[in-house]
Amino acid sequence: MSTDDESFHPLGQEWETELEGMLDETEYDSDLGMQMAQDAMRVTKGELSEAEFHEKYHDDVMDEFGVDDRPTEAAYDQAQEESSGAMGRMLSAFDGDGEESRRDVMKKMGVGAAAVGLGAWGTVDDSQPSLGISQEGDNDEGDGDFQWGMAIDLERCDGCLSCVEACAEENNLDQGVNWMYVLEYDEPRAGTPETSRNRLVRPCQHCTDAPCEKVCPTTARHTRDSDGLVLTDYDVCIGCRYCQVACPYGVNYFQWDEPDITTDEIAEQADDMGMDGDHMVDERERWVDSRAPRGTMSKCTMCPTRQDGLSGDDRVGTTACQEACPPDAINFGNMHDETSDPQVYASNPSRGRTLSLLSVGEEFAESLEEDLDGEDDDLESVLEATDLDEDTLGLLLATEITAESEMGAGDGTIADYEQDVMSTLEVLSDHGLDLESEEVLSELGLADAPDPEEDGLGDEDENGDDEEEENGDDENGDDEEEAETDSFIQDDEDEEEDDEDDEEEDEDEFDGPDVEAAQNLLEAFAGVPSSNFRLLEDMGTNPNVIYLGNEPGPNAEQREPTGTGVDYENISYQRADGERVELVDNRKDVLDEKTVGDTGLNLGGW
Amino acid sequence: MSTKSPTEADILRPVNNVSKQYFILFGLCTLAFGAFLVGWMYQLAEGMAVTGLSDWGSGGGVTWGLYIGAFIWWVGIAHGGIILSAAVRLLGMDRYMPVARLAELLTIAGLSAAGFYILVHMGRPDRMVTSVLGHYHITVNNSPLVWDVTVITAYFVLTATYLALTLRYDITRLRDDLPGYFSPVYDVLTLGYTEDEDEVVERMVWWLALAIIIMAPLLLHGGVIPWLFAVLPGMPAWFSAVQGPQFLTIALTSAISGVIIVAYAFRRAYDWDHIMTDDVFRGLLLWLGFFCLLFLWLQLQQNVVGLFAAPVSTAVAQEATITHPIYITAMVLVFATLVYIFAQTIRPSLFTKGRALVASFAVLFATLIEKLIFVVEGFLHPEFEIYAATPGAYFPSAIELLSLLGTIGMVTLIFLVVSKVVPVVELHAVEHLRGDHGHGHEETDETATEPEVKA
Repeated sequence: MSTDDESFHPLGQEWETELEGMLDETEYDSDLGMQMAQDAMRVTKGELSEAEFHEKYHDDVMDEFGVDDRPTEAAYDQAQEESSGAMGRMLSAFDGDGEESRRDVMKKMGVGAAAVGLGAWGTVDDSQPSLGISQEGDNDEGDGDFQWGMAIDLERCDGCLSCVEACAEENNLDQGVNWMYVLEYDEPRAGTPETSRNRLVRPCQHCTDAPCEKVCPTTARHTRDSDGLVLTDYDVCIGCRYCQVACPYGVNYFQWDEPDITTDEIAEQADDMGMDGDHMVDERERWVDSRAPRGTMSKCTMCPTRQDGLSGDDRVGTTACQEACPPDAINFGNMHDETSDPQVYASNPSRGRTLSLLSVGEEFAESLEEDLDGEDDDLESVLEATDLDEDTLGLLLATEITAESEMGAGDGTIADYEQDVMSTLEVLSDHGLDLESEEVLSELGLADAPDPEEDGLGDEDENGDDEEEENGDDENGDDEEEAETDSFIQDDEDEEEDDEDDEEEDEDEFDGPDVEAAQNLLEAFAGVPSSNFRLLEDMGTNPNVIYLGNEPGPNAEQREPTGTGVDYENISYQRADGERVELVDNRKDVLDEKTVGDTGLNLGGW
Repeated sequence: MSTKSPTEADILRPVNNVSKQYFILFGLCTLAFGAFLVGWMYQLAEGMAVTGLSDWGSGGGVTWGLYIGAFIWWVGIAHGGIILSAAVRLLGMDRYMPVARLAELLTIAGLSAAGFYILVHMGRPDRMVTSVLGHYHITVNNSPLVWDVTVITAYFVLTATYLALTLRYDITRLRDDLPGYFSPVYDVLTLGYTEDEDEVVERMVWWLALAIIIMAPLLLHGGVIPWLFAVLPGMPAWFSAVQGPQFLTIALTSAISGVIIVAYAFRRAYDWDHIMTDDVFRGLLLWLGFFCLLFLWLQLQQNVVGLFAAPVSTAVAQEATITHPIYITAMVLVFATLVYIFAQTIRPSLFTKGRALVASFAVLFATLIEKLIFVVEGFLHPEFEIYAATPGAYFPSAIELLSLLGTIGMVTLIFLVVSKVVPVVELHAVEHLRGDHGHGHEETDETATEPEVKA
């Protein structure tokens, strides 16, 4: 197996480059060994837990040796148990959570656990940012390299309000305190199709230049140095509400009365869930998470408890809303990292959508391997023997061809999808299907068709080759691909122009896949968002949420009823006291109950 | 017009006499203030949900409401003191000397009410000291709210110092006729007094007045208070450079009105016709007219710019404002006052003190509701006006409305109490009036006031 794996290893490319000349490039095990040795050092320093270390290399070690008997196994198993027990309470929130949860659960807990629909608790790679964060957080002087943020694909939002619900549940919010809010709006702008579902998903934008922070008379509203989260220190806030006045997005929610859920209940819940902290105090010992106490301001926090690793390292880099979003419309990650989910997704939304829509799970590669056992290695046979059809395979390859950064290099959901796509393609390659060949690519619409004469030699001849030879070819092919991955993009235009001439002169040389064709394939399949924007960018707030599609115009108006795909009042969420309450779209309805001498008059309606 | 000469006995009358009316008024004010204190306690116990406020956005409400509107209003009224004092001390308009101290007291009382509103408005007033002062060195660099607290505090301290310094002269000279049971107060107020200091105090007071007169219009109501709103691009109803001048004119109209009302009340209660002469009221009324004119002129500016070809959000906000019954009412009241004031300058027979009083109340009411709608309108029509299914809805709750009565009671109580302790008319004023300065003659009115207005 060795060499094939190398190019597909999540860190393989990067490390290969860095350690060039130090390592025997063809030997995968030396590469893995180096890396494991480094991380083992971090375990001894306490930067990485045994469980994380075990988990991180579990798959690789299994692949390499077929068994993983490392001394860290016990810690890993314990962590697995804890996370499954702790999260059991919130399972209902993630019912029907889509592919992501199934994938990850399969990966970590096997089919049995998948049956209960456990949420998408990160993956092997999720442990990586946690290290960075906690290290930075410790000294609390970030270098500005880290900024949590989101890319939200509004055209993928189906208005199910899962995010609103998950957020309210995670943070034990009072009714109507919709830190996450989804609204559907009418767009009077000419030319907008009336039928289009204009939805806006509105968390806090965690602005780099947050006006709320600027106007705060107490520094209660602050940006966390380590990761750019804009948070409220509930112990400092005086409740003047100026932050809410200054915020152009309307994301703040004041705690007008005593919150429904007590701090004791929250702490107890956190304890039950196996959190390291109480779900209120962050790594700097400041009370910034969960619902606000009376008389202070609250808003979407982007889950600092998770980002600090206090909910378990596998939840670093996730938020409650993002995990809960069935169509992966919310992509959360480090906005300063081009391999992060939001950046990868926003840079090519059609590709991100395709990855999400296909939702290839790791188990798929395994089942593929079984299906292919003993089958021929030509395209037709492969497609026949497996669940794959031509379109799907084309899309899988297209996501690889159009990758702008190394596939699977990030640490989020998208990166997981990429990993699984790579595993799938790798199984196919291992089986003998030459995914780099002109024949296969052109068959899948990812390259120009070869000349008919050559084509005549056809599949059969190649099929006649024995396995080893195929593998040999494949190896070369992979190496080439490695070298070409970057050049795909750069050479894009040249390639087009040259294509015709070259083919005549140099019949033997195949230029590789057609990036443009691959992109077209993705766009035809998943569509292209009509816009890429940030909300109210001219306010100078530098928001850290990128939106794709559905940009509301200046006259856009929220539609009645507020519920989008589903009405707010039809969704309930469970809080730490065990009771379920309904979502409320307009908080005033709740607050009016306590207003003394509510006349029913409204200055706004005059 | 009374021809009797003002005496020390005149200005000592409030200190040494109480009447049934005094006790009734005192009782009513205590009741109003006490009722609001109870309301506030309830608010502290239950949380601010007892107000009609909510979150703007999906909260379907407004974040700031009557409390903030009334806060601005009181700060505006507080300007009266310094305008009068400045007119007297810096510009030599001695005719207003009899009402100068009342006006200064109005500053103190008005600022107290405003400060009280800040506390009432807070979700966690108990943290004012620890959270605000504790981070002051950081927040003063960027938070307009901290600028506000800073300037208001400075204004209060300067005015109180000013008042304390000028009281020393009077109390020392009138000490024998002042009630003995307040001796400790007088001892403190006149601590270390020597006649030598009079001249020094005079100069100090002049400089203090200068400092305050620069600070009040430029930094307070023409500065930090409008900047609370004007610097926020997210709220097009507020985001405008005209807010500073506009706030200042609104403040000045309400300030002059406040002084007229207070002066009228004292004149009536203590037969001070010969001290607070009609001439004083005519002069004040003219000032009021002048500020009303500026008030309307600046509103015109904002409306023309906001309605002609403004960006969508600004146009929406301005249109909502100009068609709002409360805004229209306020503008009509101010305009009517302006018309009356100009009419009575042309035809002096139209002037009566009663009408001046009505005009003052009209302006005070107009400025109050204008401030209320100004604050509310910002939240109703933000730049990001997409929350149409959860539109801002607000009406002050009973407790919020009670706060108005409560603070008016509180301000009145301050006057009622202070007037029993110290003379509310300066001894200087009596001395001045006893001199051969002719006042109260109709003919001099117009010629005398015109240059003042220009000044």
